[in-house]
Amino acid sequence: MATYLIKRLLQGIVVLMAVSLVCFIMFRYTGDPVLMLAGKYATQQEREMVRVSYGLDRPMYIQYVSFIGGVLKGNFGKSYISSVDALDMILERMPATLELAFTAICISFILGVGLGVVVSVWPTGLVARAIMAGSIFGISIPTFLIGILLVMVFSVYLEVLPSFGRGETVQIGFWRTGLLTADGWKHIVLPAFTLSGYQLAVLLRLTRAGMREVLSEEYIKTAWAKGLSPFKVILKHALRNVLIPVVTIAGLSFGELVAFSIVTETIFQWPGMGNLLLTSIFETDQPVIVTYIMLAAVIILTINILVDLTYAFLNPKIRYE
Amino acid sequence: MKRIALTLIIALLALPAIAMAKADLVVVTDAPPKSMNPHAFSSDANLSYMSNFFDGLLQRPAPDGKLSPALAESWERLDGVTWKFNLRKGVKFHNGNAFTAADVKFTFERMKDPQYSKLLNIANSIASIETPDDFTVIFKNVKPVPWFAETMHQNFIVDMESSKGRDDGDYNTKPVGTGAYKFVEWVKGSYVRMAANPDYWEGASKYKSVDIRPITEEATRFAALAGKQADIVNGVPISLIERIEKMPHVELISRPARRAIYMDISNMKGTPFEDIRVRKAIAHAINEDEIIEKVMRGQATATAQVPDVPTVGYLPGLKRLPYDPAMSKKLLAEAGYPNGFDITVAGPNDRYVNDEKICEAVAKYLAKVGLKVTLDVKPKSIFFDEMSDFKHQFYLIGWFDGSFDFGRSAEKLLHTVDKDKGMGAYNGTKYSNPEIDKMIIESSSIIDRAEREKALQAINKKSVEDVAWIPLHYQQDIFAVVKGKNVKFTPRSDRWIVAKEIK
Repeated sequence: MATYLIKRLLQGIVVLMAVSLVCFIMFRYTGDPVLMLAGKYATQQEREMVRVSYGLDRPMYIQYVSFIGGVLKGNFGKSYISSVDALDMILERMPATLELAFTAICISFILGVGLGVVVSVWPTGLVARAIMAGSIFGISIPTFLIGILLVMVFSVYLEVLPSFGRGETVQIGFWRTGLLTADGWKHIVLPAFTLSGYQLAVLLRLTRAGMREVLSEEYIKTAWAKGLSPFKVILKHALRNVLIPVVTIAGLSFGELVAFSIVTETIFQWPGMGNLLLTSIFETDQPVIVTYIMLAAVIILTINILVDLTYAFLNPKIRYE
Repeated sequence: MKRIALTLIIALLALPAIAMAKADLVVVTDAPPKSMNPHAFSSDANLSYMSNFFDGLLQRPAPDGKLSPALAESWERLDGVTWKFNLRKGVKFHNGNAFTAADVKFTFERMKDPQYSKLLNIANSIASIETPDDFTVIFKNVKPVPWFAETMHQNFIVDMESSKGRDDGDYNTKPVGTGAYKFVEWVKGSYVRMAANPDYWEGASKYKSVDIRPITEEATRFAALAGKQADIVNGVPISLIERIEKMPHVELISRPARRAIYMDISNMKGTPFEDIRVRKAIAHAINEDEIIEKVMRGQATATAQVPDVPTVGYLPGLKRLPYDPAMSKKLLAEAGYPNGFDITVAGPNDRYVNDEKICEAVAKYLAKVGLKVTLDVKPKSIFFDEMSDFKHQFYLIGWFDGSFDFGRSAEKLLHTVDKDKGMGAYNGTKYSNPEIDKMIIESSSIIDRAEREKALQAINKKSVEDVAWIPLHYQQDIFAVVKGKNVKFTPRSDRWIVAKEIK
């Protein structure tokens, strides 16, 4: 077990190195930050002054080595734009993204599993068919379209939900939360539903497939024959056995929701990390971009390792040697 | 257990009341602030926020933007390189420190350091700063800079005592100025909140608390307006203008923007553009009226020149070369290109309103007169990089000068590229005309304003006659005010949201 963990961690470090290297190679093609930094009134000499003051006159490989050197000391460099520590900038935005992703995963888990059970219990009903058709939309409609449609209906026509921002927030220590105010909850509904759309459909279909398989098992027939209530048979005997893969997928997708909520955050002007990444790309703010991508890689790697480890707990037959 | 649950529920119910009350005025704008350091960026998007927390020595109040006193009560140009400013007395910074000449000297010296400031251009033009007493400042320039005072509404004065030795992170996020509003909170990506300064030297402003909320996405700005979540929207999306006009609760204000969109064109030796007949042919081939009608949906004003009306150097009556494809073909044939030549239309696709579509239209017009056109539009971060490497001979670009003086524009855009003299930094086509160069240099030492205006107008005229560029149109700035709250908003030509001007 321990050797396995160490191996995975070492692999992770190699992946992170590769990711940061790819970022630096990419930067050669994303434009020169100096032009934007120096502004339109700068002369050529003033541009050079700015270039030197940011260390951008050094060759790329030296810039890379000094970046890695900084990272080993926990220093990811300062944003070119705001001169604030890049990691701090991203961490400041993290609560917003985590709250959005958490709400979205709750929605998709509760609705996905709930509706999945409904369609597997009454597979031929009109409701079930409507839900299944809806799930195809959920998978195939791109996020930005879902978001804009929701805004059109609920903010523009019905005027019941706000279309952008986090609403009123409360600061608790370093964590700024919108989940403690009524206004904050109103603001999170639309973006959370938008973000949950795809996962909801996936979890629904996964639950349905598992349920249909399990419901035809012998032990379920036994349970019905024993005269147990439908509630006990379906939820206690059938659903529990279906949930293991569903929970795995939900866990894995949480990482994706955190790291890739960029589109949703842009549409709803959600002040999270994804929004910051997009702004930074437009502004060629290289330190922030590379820090973000490395952080996203860390999140995905960690969740993958955790999921692998939970397997071993859930199923003792699995051994990592 | 039950008791804990009950306490929790009560606490949750009480929390919304603790949260801060909504601002008196909510302004939605299209660009987020990048820094709260007033000298970090020369872009109007950033200066707009700063103008609420800080004052310059001078200011340009809405609507006409006439240079007026602010922290300086009066000013004069003593000779070619010397400027004298008499400062206002009794002004205090938000932290209580008194404003004096030492603050001005400190500000302009700090502006020379590229770590703190990107307003290097104006700071580096200063040779020395003298402060004979607490309320007089005398600047000496390295060489004549006629527009020096014209930029004084952009150079915001910081407090010397508290800025020295202040942590960089703090300095870049918490502004301390003399402005009409005090900084309250900047929640990055969400809003900038400010409160009226009761001791402001012009008197306290009408709205006690103001939120400026940046929304970069057009559709979201539209939704904010449709859902009445903003009092003022700066940057109404043109693509949705017809729908917004139909909203009964919205008042639209549209005015020609300062920024001119033009096609920059080379006259480099060895290229077809060397021949003025070719440059004229290209100008004749472009149907600007159709671009305004079809691409810009009527939201633009055609122009024959790059400077806008309030700029010193604007020449009334300049005419653009008319749309005339037959004439264009004839000129091309005369120049020796009856079968056309290869031309690349370059430009950014995320910088100006409909920039990509305008490039496409221009490409189409040029193809019609027989040129073999390649379209090369790309994100601004890459395009501007290529432009400053002189990779393009014909491209779309936009320009206006914050100084309201055509002199600086001419140095940047028209003068032959000369790294050592700092000329032609934005002249990406390497256009070069020794006659214009001479006129530009001569104009910079003229002190008399009327005489100088004539000299600048002459440069402007000459550049249009020589087809140094093909001006297309001024963009339109569109603002929306939500009715009902009786907000009186006068847009500024620089699009700054100066909250003290909102009544």
